[in-house]
Amino acid sequence: MNAPIISLQGVHKYYGDHEPRLHVLRGIDLDVAEGEYVSITGTSGSGKSTLLNLLGCLDNTSEGAYLLAGKDVSCYSDDDLSKIRNEDIGFIFQSFNLIPQLTVFENVQVPLLYGSRSIADTTDLCYQVIEAVGLSERIEHRPTQLSGGECQRVAIARALINDPVLLLADEPTGNLDTSTGEEVLSLIENLHRQGRSVVMITHDPDVADRAQRRVDLRDGVIVEAGAS
Amino acid sequence: MIPLKQMELIRMGLRSLVVYPMRTVLTMLGVVFGVGSVIAMLALGAGAERELLEEIGRLGIQNIIINSVKPEEPDNASQRRNWISSYGITFKDHRQIVDTIPGIEKALPVHVSKKTVWRGSKRVEATLYAVTPEHLDMFQLNTSIGRNLTHLDDEKLSRVCVVRSGLLKELGIYQDPIGFPLNIDKETYYIVGVLEEDSFLGYARKALSVDAKSSEIYVPYSSSLRRHGTRSITRRSGSSEATDVELNQVVISVTDLDQVLLTARMLGSLLERNHPEKDYELVVPLEVLSQRQKTQQVFNIALVAIASISLLVGGIGIANIMLATVTERTKEIGVRRALGARRGHIIAQFLTETTTISTIGGAIGVLMGIGLVKVLTFFTGWSAAITLSSVVLSLSISMAVGIISGIYPARRAAGLDPIAALRHG
Repeated sequence: MNAPIISLQGVHKYYGDHEPRLHVLRGIDLDVAEGEYVSITGTSGSGKSTLLNLLGCLDNTSEGAYLLAGKDVSCYSDDDLSKIRNEDIGFIFQSFNLIPQLTVFENVQVPLLYGSRSIADTTDLCYQVIEAVGLSERIEHRPTQLSGGECQRVAIARALINDPVLLLADEPTGNLDTSTGEEVLSLIENLHRQGRSVVMITHDPDVADRAQRRVDLRDGVIVEAGAS
Repeated sequence: MIPLKQMELIRMGLRSLVVYPMRTVLTMLGVVFGVGSVIAMLALGAGAERELLEEIGRLGIQNIIINSVKPEEPDNASQRRNWISSYGITFKDHRQIVDTIPGIEKALPVHVSKKTVWRGSKRVEATLYAVTPEHLDMFQLNTSIGRNLTHLDDEKLSRVCVVRSGLLKELGIYQDPIGFPLNIDKETYYIVGVLEEDSFLGYARKALSVDAKSSEIYVPYSSSLRRHGTRSITRRSGSSEATDVELNQVVISVTDLDQVLLTARMLGSLLERNHPEKDYELVVPLEVLSQRQKTQQVFNIALVAIASISLLVGGIGIANIMLATVTERTKEIGVRRALGARRGHIIAQFLTETTTISTIGGAIGVLMGIGLVKVLTFFTGWSAAITLSSVVLSLSISMAVGIISGIYPARRAAGLDPIAALRHG
């Protein structure tokens, strides 16, 4: 396998400065190789949301190191984390999280606004990613005019726009019916086949089993990790 | 490259203003009215100041006017027996002024008397102004028909006069008035010119003791002095009153503007010595102007301060709505943060929105203010002047209001924890 794109080394996360602290993650070691497709499961309260936030660079670890593409981001500042989120991570959320007042095209453009590349040079790229998710016909539509599946595909296009090293999906099918969920999953799996590294958080065992590797989280520790 | 991105950021940031037009308009209203009233107040203030300048400036800020004033009469019978009251500036004063006070370009004597003018059986009470030819030029009393008084008229003691057109109407002269004879106090004067229909405004009229109601007739100074002397008799309902005033007015023109106040002081002390009974008044237009301007400025500041309160209220309105918007858009803020927006980006977004609201509101307010001024001046006849600086000032203030009122909501928005914000709603 290639060098790990993600490497968590003895990661702890707790909330509160004083005892008793809420200890959510209790020593996580996890490597995800480049191009790998990993699912993380766990019941609510198992710490999977906290793990997602750490992986997505929305939060810092309390203890331990998080290496993303070789960079130790566990001690990055807020602005530096913003830059990492912008350039290296593509988020796919359960509730799509599109910005309602913007069109499909503009929603896809949003990450570009906060990056360093010029808008003019990336217009074609926007059309390309929108076409890749099959929404070329809907470019000027608002999220409210789209179905759930279409919204999630816009979100995927948005996640791809900055060519991230990691696609981070949080229950991507949670708000979708089975057939549209299937469409979205196959789209994500297609991206994996094209060489993207994907980490997917889910509580649905059927969805989790489709990944190359499944990581089960219980009470803040990994209890089962293996190829599925 | 960078500006395009900023433009794009601004364009998308402003989308929320377009999506909720009603809210945007309501948010804007405070600034619209605030700026509108500031513009209107500044315009009225500037108008009043301009009117002041016109009114007093007409007197000539390089001039000093001395008027004879009838002193308070002691109310006892023994004094009354002397039925000719004699007071005011004398020829001697005039001579002393010309001889002793430096820096005086001209000192024009004026004698004013009430006269009855006859034309056949028609009689009109008029005021006879015996003036030197320079007097008419100095106060821009130009003739619309005929000619002005000249030095030759004065030297030859000609019986010629320049009149207001109002007098012609009163006397029923409708034909060509030039050369028309008027009987004034047993003398016949011939009209040589008719003045433009334009009279002095408020203060200027008072300072020159021009009576608005009675008709003015200007005659050569020397002619009047020689033919009528300095005594004047006013008859009213049975009793008559005689006054002997040598000079009713002396208009002094100072060569150097910087010396006006100094010259006024010297004149003051000279007259004080000659007239302990204070039967004169010294009018210094420059001094009056600066005093009135000062008063006007204080008044303007008060007006604008009051108007600014509405602008302040407008700013509070924006801050209030934006704070509500932050709560409403917490999720959006979380999403933007997750997609890589830094705190600075979020702050910039909110500041852009508030500044746009307030600046557009300011621009509308300027238009509204101009409209308000037009309506006010139309219905009240007040004078108003909308100056470019007042427009620039109000626009910059409204921009500043946008920034200031946006700072707190923007910081609140940027300070949100992205994880909590994402989970919101």
